[in-house]
Amino acid sequence: MSVITTKGVTKTYNPEKIPVHALNGVDLEIKEGEFTAIVGPSGSGKTTLLNIIGGLDRPSNGSVQINQTDIATLSDNQLIDFRKENIGFVFQAYNLIPVLTAKENVEFVMLLQGKSKAERDSRVNALMKAVGLETKINKRPSELSGGQQQRVAVARALAPKPRFILADEPTANLDSHSTANLLDLMLELNQKENVTFIFSTHDQRVIDRARRVITLVDGKIETDEVRA
Amino acid sequence: MIPILAWRNTWRNPTRSWVVIIAIAMGIWAAMFMTGFATGMSRSYIENAIQGLLSHIQIHQPEYLQDRSVKSRIPDLAVLQERLEYEENIANYSIRTLATGMVASGNATRGVTIRGVEPEMEKQVSNIATKLQEGDYFESDRKNQLLISRKMADKLKAKLRSKLVLTFQDMEGTITAGAFRVVGIFESGNAPFDEGNVFVKRQDLNRLLTEATADPIPSGELAHEVAIMLRYPETLETTESVFEKAFPKLQTDTYREAAPDLQLYESQIENVSMIYLTIIMLALVFGIINTMLMAVLERVKELGMLMAIGMNKLKVFLMIVVETLLLGLIGAPLGVLLGSLTISYLGKNGLDLSSFSQSLQMYGLSEQVYFDLEPSVYVQIPVAIFITALMAAIYPAFKAIRLRPVEAIRKI
Repeated sequence: MSVITTKGVTKTYNPEKIPVHALNGVDLEIKEGEFTAIVGPSGSGKTTLLNIIGGLDRPSNGSVQINQTDIATLSDNQLIDFRKENIGFVFQAYNLIPVLTAKENVEFVMLLQGKSKAERDSRVNALMKAVGLETKINKRPSELSGGQQQRVAVARALAPKPRFILADEPTANLDSHSTANLLDLMLELNQKENVTFIFSTHDQRVIDRARRVITLVDGKIETDEVRA
Repeated sequence: MIPILAWRNTWRNPTRSWVVIIAIAMGIWAAMFMTGFATGMSRSYIENAIQGLLSHIQIHQPEYLQDRSVKSRIPDLAVLQERLEYEENIANYSIRTLATGMVASGNATRGVTIRGVEPEMEKQVSNIATKLQEGDYFESDRKNQLLISRKMADKLKAKLRSKLVLTFQDMEGTITAGAFRVVGIFESGNAPFDEGNVFVKRQDLNRLLTEATADPIPSGELAHEVAIMLRYPETLETTESVFEKAFPKLQTDTYREAAPDLQLYESQIENVSMIYLTIIMLALVFGIINTMLMAVLERVKELGMLMAIGMNKLKVFLMIVVETLLLGLIGAPLGVLLGSLTISYLGKNGLDLSSFSQSLQMYGLSEQVYFDLEPSVYVQIPVAIFITALMAAIYPAFKAIRLRPVEAIRKI
């Protein structure tokens, strides 16, 4: 079943002065449970594509369907609500809320969703256990290592039970050991809980473990390799 | 969650938050100080005027207020006096005979209002007896004793026991004169008053006014003014109406009606306080906007992330507003506490302005100002701060919600 379908997506920045064509007609279909890496050289349009798929940016042309909803037609506030219910984000710089504890960071989106305390507590405990940080739930981000912060970020992304998780260079700031641990965690979640992951990355270790690798060059899909 | 997040955000940069909180507290303190000072000045001015000669209520023959003629005396004084004795709310009253004339020494002449008073009665109503710097307050039984001010004494080059001549029209309209001996020199603290008034015993003035009259009025019956001090000043208006009804042919005025400048002064003081308050609040608005803008701009990426993961614009807006209000909620009680302590201390001990005494006296103001605040001000100022903080929050909050998540976080 398709989670994301893009058709003829283009994105041109600064169209009236000096146009920069970041995406030049991207057709893409991501199915549920995929573990996909989007790769390519700098300026190839990886981040732009993720921003558009994630509803953070709008395409100049083309459509982006997520669960049969054309997100290009949603208003800003509708998009925020749509993201809250359907998309999990993992950022390169973790982007946890520094004034909240690990538990509160994970719980935050569920609070926005209006989930009950019992439901939140149960889900937070399960996720913190899943990411191996059950003993760190009351630590603030500044008290955690980079790898631990990124694990909290993954738990936060999973908390609202999104349709898929978008991760922009999630291992860029991590050492080898933390990268390996994070990849193990994400693969485990992908396999056990059928969570769909889409990464943009330069990291060969991530590319090696991805089951589908889409290569973007000059805003177009050059190769789309599905591995066994 | 928003209040918790806002509260913790407030303490991200404690130094900056404390600077704003202290600024708010100081703003409130300054507003309370200025208002307390202005109210104290206003009350002292009014109190001085009441204690001086004005009293709470004055009764005249209506024509007297127009022509200031000695002929416009209060009729049936005995009936009025009987009522004054009977009314429970009347603490004290003084019966005065007034004449406009000249006081002359061998060196100079000045125009004055000659106030004939019953010394014991007057002592209970005005504070002139307590303002004597030299001499005594009509202590002896000798005839034609005179109290003059220090200023008048200087201008007439007179001193204690100097003989001065008072000249005025009597009840027949004939110019009459009497030689009076200075027995006391006072300084009321109100320069204009001191320059224009002298005090004599009422019986002496009445004698001079009536002795040449063909059909003499009994001396005790001649009076132009009754000044009343109330036991309960808050019943001013009701007591006034009691006398207006009982004596419709007489003019009964509260001190506000008798001296409209007092009311003007009261309202101007209020206006000045409001102007100060507005200036302080405006300065605070910009201070708070500046701080909250910094707080928003340094968190652009985080705010973008919050919107990316599903925090809608209303919640982001509210979060910034609550953060701003929290600064006010901490600063306001501190300021009110500081202000209350200051007002309480200066209300008891007063602020010594004796270095400005000359100019203060020119306007009838005391050199010791006892601060005072209407209880409502303790509510008004924090409410003003709340509104100020709310206004100051709007621009930074709009700035926050106008961020586009994709630009704010640059990349997901």
